[in-house]
Amino acid sequence: VGTVAVRTGGPQAPISADVVIVGGGPAGSTAALYAARADLQVVVVDRGLDAGALGQTGIVANFPGLPPMPGPEIVRALRQQAERFGARFLTGQALGLQPREGGFSVLTSLGELRARGVIAATGATGRAPAVPGEAELLGRGVSSCATCDGPFFRGRRVAVVGRTEEAAEEALLLAHLAEAVELVVPGDLPVGPHWQALVVHPRVRPHPRHSLKAILGDGAGVRAVRLRGPGGERELPVHGVFLYLQGRRPVTDWLQPVLAPGPDGCLAVGPGYGTAVPGVFAVGDVLCTEVKQAVIAAAQGAEAAIQAERWLRGRSGPRPDWR
Amino acid sequence: MQILEAAERNYVRERLGELPRAVRLTLFTRDGCEACQASEQLARELTEVVPGLSLQLVGEEDRELVQRYGIDKWPALAVEPAEAAGPANGIRFYGFPGGYEFDSLLEAVRRVSRGEPGLGSDLVQYLAGRVEPLRLQVFVTQTCPWCPRMVQLAHRMALASPRVRAEMIDAAEFPRLAALYGVQGVPLTVIDGRVRVVGAVPEGRLLAELLRADRRGG
Repeated sequence: VGTVAVRTGGPQAPISADVVIVGGGPAGSTAALYAARADLQVVVVDRGLDAGALGQTGIVANFPGLPPMPGPEIVRALRQQAERFGARFLTGQALGLQPREGGFSVLTSLGELRARGVIAATGATGRAPAVPGEAELLGRGVSSCATCDGPFFRGRRVAVVGRTEEAAEEALLLAHLAEAVELVVPGDLPVGPHWQALVVHPRVRPHPRHSLKAILGDGAGVRAVRLRGPGGERELPVHGVFLYLQGRRPVTDWLQPVLAPGPDGCLAVGPGYGTAVPGVFAVGDVLCTEVKQAVIAAAQGAEAAIQAERWLRGRSGPRPDWR
Repeated sequence: MQILEAAERNYVRERLGELPRAVRLTLFTRDGCEACQASEQLARELTEVVPGLSLQLVGEEDRELVQRYGIDKWPALAVEPAEAAGPANGIRFYGFPGGYEFDSLLEAVRRVSRGEPGLGSDLVQYLAGRVEPLRLQVFVTQTCPWCPRMVQLAHRMALASPRVRAEMIDAAEFPRLAALYGVQGVPLTVIDGRVRVVGAVPEGRLLAELLRADRRGG
């Protein structure tokens, strides 16, 4: 126990900023660019280049002013542009939002981020259990957090399903604990750094171009997964299934109960992208925008940042006081 | 060996600010328990860093206090207002409150000091109308970033109602208990030993599960 870190990673003190932006896709990164250019201190927390919808898109040919290029490269370019004006990007996950005196605390996997304004740009890649057996076996062998639940499967067989860098990172962690990792990749094997280490790992068996059709088990836990691949369907015996799949649900759980989504699952905003909570703005796919396009999300991010800046200045008076 | 490094001490000071009301940690330990020693060390260091935070150590032999606080596993930690005769609430930590759960410990100190459960009105109303005791066992691992959300919700309920026992339980420290409830993923909350709630759920969803547990009865 003495060797256990008291805190797991994270900044060494709560980080304070004028604006915390959650999500670093086109909406969040553009908001960061505009807010940073307006001389606000900006911190963006995001799960990684390929975590969102644009980061999972192959070649994008309709982003104005850019030649056709992979989605993650556009995300990277947007971030670098914001970073040049002082925005700070952190890789982590937002876990909660709490009002505090003079603003908000965004609780993240990195610790507490404090800000007077918050822009929610978490996109819509959340998912509800959809694979047969998934809902029933959640918490009984089905998980989406190897860091949390990996130790329960020490010396046992597990499956990891997904194709993001996060999936690869978590699969590597499991490879150290589990007897074997069946790596189920819908589509071809990605080429990111963690994937290269994974595919040569002695305890990892990659199954590219396979999809998960069902998770089999009972009250005692998971027994097997059923996959479909180029050679047809087959079952693999496993005790744990770690899912890193993306869906189309707005990611709003971290905002609750301070801000709840509507019955459609999306956040509602007024003019200027302000939500029902003063100081909290929302942009991008987390709204029920009819047309989901990177350039539209980016434009929303720009406007929200401008409105957030006005709001912050309006409340605190002239510049020397609010910096 | 020191547990809290200089940067972590700063974090604690910043996170807690000044405590408006003094808080007492009551730590239950016993011999031969490695996590007990680490918990004692951590609690001592916290009291050095945070003015207004005190520590009461209770050994296994003090049966009266062990019984009064309902302690059945070691180490156990209670967080209460310093002036109150214990037990003043049902907030408990079973196992070393480290990793991501260190934040739950700081949050418990902060909320107890301010007397602020910060619960939504639906849960407050539910707790006000509830006559029977309620036990929430929240199983966690120290490496689970989602778990503090559930632990802190349970602890806030214990702060709001004297009938609620809200226990953080480190699944790695108490594997047999975890196996008894079939814990294979965290956070997992067990309501009154009967209903399992998987994941870090929002208040509304927990309330729905509480009502479901009530309908099922004992």
